[in-house]
Amino acid sequence: MGKIVVEVCAGTHCTLMGSMDIIDAIASLPEIGHIEDGLNDIEVIPVPCRNHCKENMVGPIVYVEGEIIPQADQETVLAAIINKIRAQKV
Amino acid sequence: MRGIFTPITKIRRQVFSEVAKFAFEHDIEGDDFGYFYESAYRIIPGEEPLYRDSVFKERAIIRERIRMAMGLPMRPTGTHQPLTEGMQDTADGKKRLDLPLVNVIPFACEKCPTDRIQVSDNCRKCLAHPCTAVCPVKAVSIGKNAAVIDQDKCIKCGRCITACPYHAILRFGRPCAEACGADAIDSDELGRAVINQEKCVACGLCIVTCPFAAISDKSEIFQVITAIRRGKRVAAIIAPSFVGQFGPLATPGKIVSGIRKLGLSHVIEVGWGADYGSMQEADEFIVHVPHDKKFLGTSCCPSWAMFARNVQPETSDCIALSHTPMVAAAKKVKELSPGTLVVFIGPCVAKKLEALEDEVRPYVDFVITYEELMGMFSAKEIELSDMEEDTLGTLASRDGRGYAVAGGVAEALVNSIKRRQPGREVPFMKADNLRDCHKMLRLAKAGKADGYLLEGMACPGGCVGGPGTLSLIPRAGSAVKAFAASSPYLSADDNPML
Repeated sequence: MGKIVVEVCAGTHCTLMGSMDIIDAIASLPEIGHIEDGLNDIEVIPVPCRNHCKENMVGPIVYVEGEIIPQADQETVLAAIINKIRAQKV
Repeated sequence: MRGIFTPITKIRRQVFSEVAKFAFEHDIEGDDFGYFYESAYRIIPGEEPLYRDSVFKERAIIRERIRMAMGLPMRPTGTHQPLTEGMQDTADGKKRLDLPLVNVIPFACEKCPTDRIQVSDNCRKCLAHPCTAVCPVKAVSIGKNAAVIDQDKCIKCGRCITACPYHAILRFGRPCAEACGADAIDSDELGRAVINQEKCVACGLCIVTCPFAAISDKSEIFQVITAIRRGKRVAAIIAPSFVGQFGPLATPGKIVSGIRKLGLSHVIEVGWGADYGSMQEADEFIVHVPHDKKFLGTSCCPSWAMFARNVQPETSDCIALSHTPMVAAAKKVKELSPGTLVVFIGPCVAKKLEALEDEVRPYVDFVITYEELMGMFSAKEIELSDMEEDTLGTLASRDGRGYAVAGGVAEALVNSIKRRQPGREVPFMKADNLRDCHKMLRLAKAGKADGYLLEGMACPGGCVGGPGTLSLIPRAGSAVKAFAASSPYLSADDNPML
């Protein structure tokens, strides 16, 4: 099974709107590794602003395996990651 | 709701950005504050409520938050008053912020029941029902479907909670009151939370705890930006907990650059003021403890110092006399560059109150939090990761930088005392919330801390756990420690800038 790459925007607007909390939430996922496997293979990369917020997308912006999630929060990002992991297993 | 980004945090930060944006962009000679009538619609757009039962109520709450973010008092709910009343005085620099600093927005408060013990659906109405046996006042009985607690008899000892094999009995309290270590949350005649300003020490923890976003402090974002735009020379003094607060790509050097891009002339480490404070408190300890002061309590956390003097006046002379690091750093700026205005940037709500004290007011002109500063960066579209690395105007020692994490102040003082009196044992106690601080004070009063150093902090984890922070506490703590370790000086005594 491959690594899941999650890029989290660490630009000013996204940080203000909670991107650091998303990073910490993803980092906490291995804690439930005994219930759902594959959670140890997540790589979180803070990335600089890619200007999507200036194109009317609302931050925080997160890219799960390249798929863009605008107005991201912990809830949507964790669900997107788990979906990717489950899809890989099929 | 620490460590989880919720709508509470979002609303607060949206208001800061809104006010910062106005402050940067409005006609500085004009008197049009009409922008703020639109603010509530920008934050709560559309016809459907986003968070509560009514979109009108949501916007009404935003309006009071806007006023407080401008440093102004809330308006009375029962009589008419324009949203913009008082804003011109603030723009003219006639006003800083109006006390009280921390306020419950009355109509945002959902009147949570005060402390009570109640039975939940987990109750199986079991045969053993130990809940009845352990109750010392016969308040628990077995009803038709479940155990029942007679609230008139219940003395809230909590023994039934521990005894229940199904974890069916819960303590239900007001989160604001639980967060308040100073017991300053009362109820008004309508059952809404209200802050007892006599007891409040402005730690600000209720603000970030209330799950209905009903509590707010006041801000000086607008005042700082207006001073800069009017061409005043404004220097920033930044608290040691700043490292790691602005995102993983914002290095200390880039943060300094970003602050200067906002128009501030210098960025000085308050850690330098901490070094100054360590030297003074080390001397105070050596001269007075235990002969004429039974113990020495640290003075850097204004909430703790105020709390210690309020709740136990008989030991108030044992709280160190030295200036807080904020004041020491601000004084230095005023001394080196008279006429320069000083803004303290930190994690702390209580510093806003400290800055209004008569002895402090001449040195500290404004206080803002990291969250408020981030709102300013966002309004001005400053991307910290794009900034050049800049350097701080002063250097603080490892120990001075360590003040930001619980235990760090005691460690710095012990090191400085031992430098002066090698071989001296310095026993110490520490607490990082006001309830534990209170226990520590009681021990000290009972004579169990004679000759001790007492480190008191109101926020869990120390300053890195302050209400004005953006980073999770453990992450911030490691960032502070790494930055501290990079200082060329170990303790205050090694700092050549003192």
